[in-house]
Amino acid sequence: MHLVPSAYAGFADVVAMLVLLTEFAMLRAPLLRSQVRIYAFQSLVVTGLAVDIAAARHVPDLYTLAALTFALKVVLVPGVVLRLLRDAEADLAGSPVLGVASMVLIAIAVSAFGFFAVGSFHVQSATLPTTALAIAIAAALVAFVLIILRTDVVSQAMGFFSLENSVSVASLVVAAGLPLVVEVAFLFDLLVAVVVFGVIMRVHHGRTKTLSTDELDRLKG
Amino acid sequence: MGPSVVAPQGIQALQVATILVGSPLVSGVIAHVEGRLQGRRGPRILQPYYDLAKLFRKETVVTDESSWVFLAGPVVAFSCYLIVPMLIPVLTTYGLPLGYMGDILGGGFILALAGFSVALAGTESGAPYAQLGSSRAMTFGALIEPTILFVFFAVALLTSTDLPYAMAATVRSSTSEIVRPGHVFAAIAFFLVVLADTGRIPVETHSGTLEFGMIDEGRTLEHSGPQLALLKWGSAMKQLILYTILINVFVAPWGLATSGSPAAVVIAIASLIGKAVLLGCIFALIDNLFSKLRLFKITEFLAAAFLLAVLAVFVFYVKGG
Repeated sequence: MHLVPSAYAGFADVVAMLVLLTEFAMLRAPLLRSQVRIYAFQSLVVTGLAVDIAAARHVPDLYTLAALTFALKVVLVPGVVLRLLRDAEADLAGSPVLGVASMVLIAIAVSAFGFFAVGSFHVQSATLPTTALAIAIAAALVAFVLIILRTDVVSQAMGFFSLENSVSVASLVVAAGLPLVVEVAFLFDLLVAVVVFGVIMRVHHGRTKTLSTDELDRLKG
Repeated sequence: MGPSVVAPQGIQALQVATILVGSPLVSGVIAHVEGRLQGRRGPRILQPYYDLAKLFRKETVVTDESSWVFLAGPVVAFSCYLIVPMLIPVLTTYGLPLGYMGDILGGGFILALAGFSVALAGTESGAPYAQLGSSRAMTFGALIEPTILFVFFAVALLTSTDLPYAMAATVRSSTSEIVRPGHVFAAIAFFLVVLADTGRIPVETHSGTLEFGMIDEGRTLEHSGPQLALLKWGSAMKQLILYTILINVFVAPWGLATSGSPAAVVIAIASLIGKAVLLGCIFALIDNLFSKLRLFKITEFLAAAFLLAVLAVFVFYVKGG
């Protein structure tokens, strides 16, 4: 018989699972705009998880982190990317290498690897929520699939940003008491990434008049 | 004779009778609510009963090409739908005498046999639309099957059995069981399966008359008279059976009789019909909020259900799921 997790841990697991599901939703979203909105929703879920853990484990620092997460990842980053998209006037993602069904099947296999890998660690701890850790790692792996299989700059940026989201989920559930300054350093990394990806999107669109990376297969002399 | 206890066999008969008699009522309420949501007055709540009575009085018309299979299909399907309510917790929390003659897989097989015989009868008619409907119903049925299997796996991992009664008891036992991701996602996946299997909107227009969009409805186009009545009644029963499994096994197994006292049994009947009507209202709302998917997009909907069921099973491989 399996050990039944407490109601709080179960709830946290379901929220972590939502992060994984939004990752799958991003994988199949045909509109670039909807992909950015799904990322905003995913960040909102992460904010909710931070508030939940702050309340349950009495870590007031996490409220600050939740507020920062909300301001940056739900409002600022999606806002900036949506604005860039409006300037680029590109709606649809370029046709991906594989069909949606195959991409989802590959992502299922990859996330299975994440689950089984964490399951085989045999972590025996009363406080460490192994399930949520496994879900976060599966989400990170699916983010890699997103970056590898989708051939447009926006998907790759979103994949990278959501990778950061799954890392924050992992750090939230495993080390809720992580010093605030470390978490803020992660967020600062994200800001740098946004600037870099913003520049890449601009330059790429300026040169090739498209956001698809399919155009980058010719040598330029 | 002790007046205060209904014999287990009696409750078993009542389980079947509740599904048999209650299913047109639930369909009627859903159709009425749907009409109201669309700004119509909607048909009377008892309309399905009148329809059935009318159809039973009509004569049967058979196409030249069809054989006895065409006439037997609806009867076989109807008797299958009469058997399934014996296996699932319709009214009681405890297993009734015949309740353990089949597990959750057994119930699934009998439902599949019913679907198969209706599809066979549709194909046997020799009419193009009925054959198209049957072929589509079997194709999408095959795509739903893996999701159902993984939901069963999740049930097996949660309860170490494959009995619907054990699953319901597990859900009732504590709050932590309800919010476990394995349970939550298996329940949502099963909800999507019910949506697809009862021919609701993302998959099929329930009350449509356009043959090209039909899946389940298309199979019965050539039947008439008592056979059509049995098919319509059967599909209403299938709907209530699936609702009952979703409600009394996965989502809200409360209000069931814990003993054979008449009061408890009456409350159980009333609460089942009430919960089924509530669930039906949710389905009617979904009908109005979403549009029908194009036929080739249905696989994506089913893939989403499959994803949820697979993830529900995966989480068990990490400690505590």
